[in-house]
Amino acid sequence: MESQGIIIPTKDKLFNIEPLLTKTPGNLVTWAILGIGLIITLIRFTVGIGSVTNLDDYQPWGLWIGFDLLCGVCLAAGGYFTTVAVYVMGMKQYHSAVRPAVTTAFLGYAFVVVALLYDLGHPLRLPFMFFFPGTTSVLFEVGLCVATYLTVLFIEFSVAPMEWLSVKFPWILPLRKWVIKITILLTIFGVTLSTLHQSSLGSLYLIAPEKLHPLWYSPFMPMFFFVSSMAAGASMVIFEGLFAHKGVHQYMDATHLREADGVVLGFSRAASFILFAYFMLKLIDMLVQANLPLVLTGYGAWWLVEMLGFVLLPAMLYAKGARDGNVQLCRYTSVLTVMGIVLNRFNVSMIAFNWKLPSAERYFPSIWEICISIFVVTMIVTVYRFIVYNMPVLYEHPNFRGEEHD
Amino acid sequence: MNRRKFLAILSASGIVSALGTAKVAKSAPHTFPYYEDSYGVLHDTTRCIGCRRCEAACQQVNNLPMPEKPFTDLEVTSTRRRTTAYAWTVVNKYEVNSRPYFRKLQCFHCNDPACASACFAKCFSKLPDGAVVYDGSQCVGCRYCMVACPFNIPGFQYDLAWDPLVQKCTFCEPRLKEGKLPGCVEACPVDAITFGRRSDLIKIARARMAENPGKYVNYVYGEHDAGGTAWMVLVPAAGAPAGPVDDAAVTGSEMEQMGLDAHLGSQPMGELTYGALGAVPMIVAFWPVVFGGAYAITKRREAMNRAAAEAAVNDARNDVAAAVDAAVRKIEETEGQAAADRARRAMTEALKAREEEAHGGNK
Amino acid sequence: MRKGTKLLLLAAVALAGAACLSALGCGPAMAAPLEPTDSGAPSAIVIFPVGEKPNPKAAAMPPVAFNHVVHEKWMSRANKDCMVCHHTGDPIACTTCHTIEGSPEGGNITLERAMHAVKIAPRKDGTPSSCVSCHENTMKQRNCAGCHGQLVRNARESDKWCVVCHSITPRMTAQQLQAGIQGKLPDGVNEQLAAETAAARPHTKYWSPMVAPYKVEISALSGKYEPCVFNHRHHVADLMARVKNSELAQAFHNDPATMCVTCHHHSPASTTPPKCSSCHSIGIDKEHPGRPSLMAAYHLQCMNCHKDMNVARPRNTDCTTCHKLRPVQGASK
Repeated sequence: MESQGIIIPTKDKLFNIEPLLTKTPGNLVTWAILGIGLIITLIRFTVGIGSVTNLDDYQPWGLWIGFDLLCGVCLAAGGYFTTVAVYVMGMKQYHSAVRPAVTTAFLGYAFVVVALLYDLGHPLRLPFMFFFPGTTSVLFEVGLCVATYLTVLFIEFSVAPMEWLSVKFPWILPLRKWVIKITILLTIFGVTLSTLHQSSLGSLYLIAPEKLHPLWYSPFMPMFFFVSSMAAGASMVIFEGLFAHKGVHQYMDATHLREADGVVLGFSRAASFILFAYFMLKLIDMLVQANLPLVLTGYGAWWLVEMLGFVLLPAMLYAKGARDGNVQLCRYTSVLTVMGIVLNRFNVSMIAFNWKLPSAERYFPSIWEICISIFVVTMIVTVYRFIVYNMPVLYEHPNFRGEEHD
Repeated sequence: MNRRKFLAILSASGIVSALGTAKVAKSAPHTFPYYEDSYGVLHDTTRCIGCRRCEAACQQVNNLPMPEKPFTDLEVTSTRRRTTAYAWTVVNKYEVNSRPYFRKLQCFHCNDPACASACFAKCFSKLPDGAVVYDGSQCVGCRYCMVACPFNIPGFQYDLAWDPLVQKCTFCEPRLKEGKLPGCVEACPVDAITFGRRSDLIKIARARMAENPGKYVNYVYGEHDAGGTAWMVLVPAAGAPAGPVDDAAVTGSEMEQMGLDAHLGSQPMGELTYGALGAVPMIVAFWPVVFGGAYAITKRREAMNRAAAEAAVNDARNDVAAAVDAAVRKIEETEGQAAADRARRAMTEALKAREEEAHGGNK
Repeated sequence: MRKGTKLLLLAAVALAGAACLSALGCGPAMAAPLEPTDSGAPSAIVIFPVGEKPNPKAAAMPPVAFNHVVHEKWMSRANKDCMVCHHTGDPIACTTCHTIEGSPEGGNITLERAMHAVKIAPRKDGTPSSCVSCHENTMKQRNCAGCHGQLVRNARESDKWCVVCHSITPRMTAQQLQAGIQGKLPDGVNEQLAAETAAARPHTKYWSPMVAPYKVEISALSGKYEPCVFNHRHHVADLMARVKNSELAQAFHNDPATMCVTCHHHSPASTTPPKCSSCHSIGIDKEHPGRPSLMAAYHLQCMNCHKDMNVARPRNTDCTTCHKLRPVQGASK
């Protein structure tokens, strides 16, 4: 019935960290990246932001915001997307996708905050926004929502560590029951907060129409960011599945494996619809803003690459994959979609931002900025692996089997 | 159309209506209390000679570090410089139809500043005397103000590790309090920057245009741009007097040549985000209703499905019982009571076994 | 011996001074009778407001006595032909087409516009000039531009300006005027009246630069720099020398103080004009926020004139050419 590889932690052996410590090539690379990352971290916090980044006064937000924040938040949209599908819409067939999705969402948001600390001039003053709330700022709304949603995700996610730790600390059990009881509340709260801050990430740039290229600037940017985050959420569930099946296959139980293909096909269908809708929204927005002449310029060609190659193409591939039941095609399309989302966020935050500046004054991230971004992603993967090795995420804990269904 | 599709459409229309509301909110008159008696500065670029006296004065009164090249080196005005954390004002040379003109760059001190609107820790404030000032003691260092500023003014101390702050022209706020002029204004040898009440400066600008037909572009840059700014700029006309056109978009070319963005619009930049922010309460109120409703519908559907399934099972069970009864009665008629009893027992056991098997499999 | 040389020198200087004074101060008091033109056209003609309604008490605006020979000679010196004014190619009178009320032949352009318009729409076949537009263009030349560029404005709005052209000899009778308005005045009479008027035009004698101070020390603002010593007489004399031979300047500079009022503006012409600082305050002037401060007033006057007259030296940003930097004691504070 169950895969042989699952190691259920017991009261005597709570931690299962051997897989992280063995000298496999993957682990060696991980250690190297984490080591380099720690060194750059040290430099960043002792010498200043300017010592490791190419940021300047024209480009105050670079890769750390464009990738770690914008992409990080967007790609963690799988959490709200899956919980809404399963708990609100009652699609029980995707239930096994909930915990991995919530886990990655939680990690994604947690490390967005970690990455933000690198970018802030005064990281320790982050809570100041609650003491001196600048309510006219979009960033305040983003901060408030992300902070609240991170808490919500933490509570949603806490079921897994509680099940893990309950073998040693049984007093946790009532807490776990209580969390499961309020699941639906958390889900609805979560989707509300997600709608707000996913769209607000687009609103951030509403204030700078003169800096962002008109093909990307639109009064409807909040809606574009929200709609594309839904597609990102669906795609990230598939995308993570792709890697989970490669890396931690042995930790999946029969239910997870049985439902996995259904999850891929169902989410592909949803993503296909959303991407088509997104494409139409962008197309009509471009026409309504009379930007057609701009499409014929260099930036227009780049815009077409994004819209055709990374929105329309994945939409059609998803549709075909879902229709033919071609799980493999759907998985590869999810890679394309995720790349498309990253491309879009890069375009808005870096490539089409400050487009009027002469090229000599334009921004290109330094090697150290890229290293820190890789470092953050590696941290997420490592913590994810730790969680998967120890907590019932990809499998159901035998002590709680079937409890969550009703 | 099933319920799920209906809900999808409903939620989509929800977003649209929320953003639609936002659009309406945007067109409402803004309520920012523009300070009637606030000060401003009129920068007449036709007067500026590019002597960099203002830069030197700014450095001196604000105790800024000395620049690499001394203030007497006037060649640097030919490069495209911008304000930084350590140079709060710079004078650049621009060519307007290949004639050289100089323009001083510094904070425009907007009436309704984008930086203040963007700051999530309330570091910026517009004072009644017209200055937009920054309080670094509560700055988080997010630099959203720099993204927001339509004039690319604030600079950040990227080189500092411990207390990096955003820095920009303060309108010499401490000096204004003492009754002194801003350092740059005092230093200007040709009154290319005229200090005064903002309302007076607009009249002065118009008077200069009237007295010198053909000398200026018929537009006071900053009177309305980005919601109006305390520092305003007069721009030289390129050639023949421009007709009575008072529109930034039309007079774009000289403005562009002077490096001024004439397409900012007359709304304060912050207002561009107020629509989206106005949608927040809508979503907070609407989303729980939509998704709570969807949840209720799902639950109800599940309950009805369960009831229907149970009814079907019961019907089947009754049918089977009736069939068994009929069969037993037939056996009783043909083969007698004992055989009938035996048959009934056998059939009941068989049914029970099947039911158990079905139940176990389900589990 | 020594004493004698000194005295001799003094006497020589005094003599030279007197000679200079008389040379600079004495212009011709009355113009000579008009020369004939090269083209054979009349030396001067009266341009009547042709088409004016009959007006027995004489028209409100006197007709213009046009000095044709001066203009023709200037044109030939400037390598221009008659077409500049006679833009149809026919040397006919302006009033043939341009009448007071305008006529279809003149494109309905009234006489007033044809003579005074300054914003003339470009035409494909050569854009005509009016009197005023041509005069204003001429004033853009380097010798005139210092005063007539930035500093002297609104001259057209003063009454003195009209009367320079619109004046006619008192010997013209009302009948002659009516005949002229109807275009019936014989050419001979017309030319006679015009020649008389032109010949009688006064030539203004400027105040001599010698009545003005030789050097002016501007010390009100000295601080970082030492007081500026302004060579006042040199500037006045140079400006006068530049317009000495200009007939346009002679005709229109009709006030002895003309060469003073450019700089000493906004006050009645006088040999003892008010100090600049009586209007321009050192700091900010709350009553007159638009008025340049004293430092700016000086700099704007000097720099704008130098710029418009293409004076290459000193550059605007060479502070020490005009005022020497004080020794370091001032700079340290």
